[in-house]
Amino acid sequence: MSAPQETGPRPLAGIPAQPGAPAAAEPSAGRVRQAFDSFTGRAAGPYQAAVVRIGFGLAWAAYLLREWPNRRVLYGDRSPWSDALAARLLAENHAFTVLTWYHGRLWFELVYQLAIVAAVLLVLGWRTRASGALFLVTVLSLQNRNVLVGDGGDNVVHLMAVYLVVTRSAQVWSLDARRARRARPGGGGDGRDGGGGGGGGRGAVWLWGLLGVALATGQPGRVWGLLWVLWLTAGVWYAVDRWRPDGEPRAVLDALANMLHNCGMLVIAAQVVLIYSTAGWYKVQGSRWQDGTALHYPLHLDYFVPWPGLSGLLGSSLLLVFLLSYGTVILQVAFPFTLFNRRLKNVLLALMMLEHAAIAVTLGLPFFSLAMIAADAVFLPSGFLRGVPGSVRRVLKGVRR
Amino acid sequence: MARTWSTPALAVLCGAGVLLLGGTGLFLAALFLQVAPSNALSQRYRGPIDQLVYPEFEQNWKLFAPNPLQQNLSVDARVQTISPTEHVTTRDWVGLTAQDIAAIRDNPAPSHLDQNMLRRAWDFYDSTHSTQDGTVAVAGERGRLAEEYLKRIGLQRLGRTPGGERVLQIQFRLRTAAIAPPSWSAEEAPAAVADRVLPWWPVDETDYQGLG
Repeated sequence: MSAPQETGPRPLAGIPAQPGAPAAAEPSAGRVRQAFDSFTGRAAGPYQAAVVRIGFGLAWAAYLLREWPNRRVLYGDRSPWSDALAARLLAENHAFTVLTWYHGRLWFELVYQLAIVAAVLLVLGWRTRASGALFLVTVLSLQNRNVLVGDGGDNVVHLMAVYLVVTRSAQVWSLDARRARRARPGGGGDGRDGGGGGGGGRGAVWLWGLLGVALATGQPGRVWGLLWVLWLTAGVWYAVDRWRPDGEPRAVLDALANMLHNCGMLVIAAQVVLIYSTAGWYKVQGSRWQDGTALHYPLHLDYFVPWPGLSGLLGSSLLLVFLLSYGTVILQVAFPFTLFNRRLKNVLLALMMLEHAAIAVTLGLPFFSLAMIAADAVFLPSGFLRGVPGSVRRVLKGVRR
Repeated sequence: MARTWSTPALAVLCGAGVLLLGGTGLFLAALFLQVAPSNALSQRYRGPIDQLVYPEFEQNWKLFAPNPLQQNLSVDARVQTISPTEHVTTRDWVGLTAQDIAAIRDNPAPSHLDQNMLRRAWDFYDSTHSTQDGTVAVAGERGRLAEEYLKRIGLQRLGRTPGGERVLQIQFRLRTAAIAPPSWSAEEAPAAVADRVLPWWPVDETDYQGLG
């Protein structure tokens, strides 16, 4: 991608700045210009953003479906953590939830089913800004209604639900991207509509109006303020896109969306690094991780032993327990630093995903693991991700034969 | 292709860029300071950091760190019921944790209901109650919340009318079973820990609200 800059026509040495290439005349100014252009001109990591969106949508949808029979006891009208208890904690920590707005089963059921719909829509990338906002509202609402049933997996979903809202995560692998492609046949696919809130059409206006009504009936707060900002931006975006599609304001909005997306992706990546660093650094201080027996203990914690035979087998070997205990710590502590070396980073990333897959089965934490793998995916290389649809198609073809 | 911007547009973009990058930097710094061990900087800016991080960006990644839990904790509960003829019966202990474990066994996707609810409710209770010289110190509002939550979990599990009688009060007990060190370790098995029995808690109609 950076090759054209090297081979392009360069100003001749010794001759004063030539027209057409003013910025390149001064190397440092050129670099600033370049950084500015890539910060404002493109939404970085479209495939990574898409895979994170799909991963978290899937993880949360799968979780909600699994808990469907238990939903009322976990978050609803049958919960030991009653509305009244929840309200007392919320008055203290000011966490956001729409579930305490109305009592009773009907409202709860509505929110729970809406949460499933939002998660599925996020996976599909349908009107992704709106689906993302709905995903944020429903994830926070359910989790904050009863934080006391969550674990690390829920925590990651919670954070990513917020971060995903500011990204243009639907540039690829989404219904939005497909709509944009169809609207501009052979238009070179500048992907402007990818999660940009645009996409036009009467459907968009209706959806926007509906969400506006929903917002107006809500109770104000920090999260609600953020949603109002999103809503207003979507309105402005639509108007500009409709009436001045080629004007500068449209381009400015596009650049702003790119900048916001790029910051969002940076936060997502930094968040994942932070997870592994803290997990690693705190383990280094633990005597059990130091003496290499740490893994033995979770393998004997009743709450995390769905398959006693498997756990017993894993925990029976001194060498295996030692290697896995030390390996985990090394992996977690080293990961942030390997980001500076592509090949090493990819190896560690593969190992980490593998470890999470193993945790899913051995410790009985499939949703936690799915969420962690979705978070890891932000570091997958673009080349690999671009190849995924092709491979899937080939596998499917093979299966059909 | 890089675009040539008009001056106002450039001003807007530069202004937004500075705000966004600055905001992102500050946000990440706050997250870092929240997960880092308490230090000079995080103590100095405790207020602003907490305001930014809580409640929606709270994080705790100390899963199994610094050391994994090395005990199996199990919570049991029993109730005292009263018959229409005013005869009081103390019922047998019921293993609530044992019910959880039974539900988790052979289950590829254990529910949060079995894996987290009681386990974390006990943690919540434990973290808000400290025992010194046999007397229990309750830590404020959260301590009271933890008690009511635990009580309601027990009542829901044990049912409204055990043995067909009305429940007078409920009691919890914590049993601690240390996990033995690995077979190849020379370490001695840790000493047994005595059961912790909580006082009887009175039960009335309001405690059952919404439990179904």
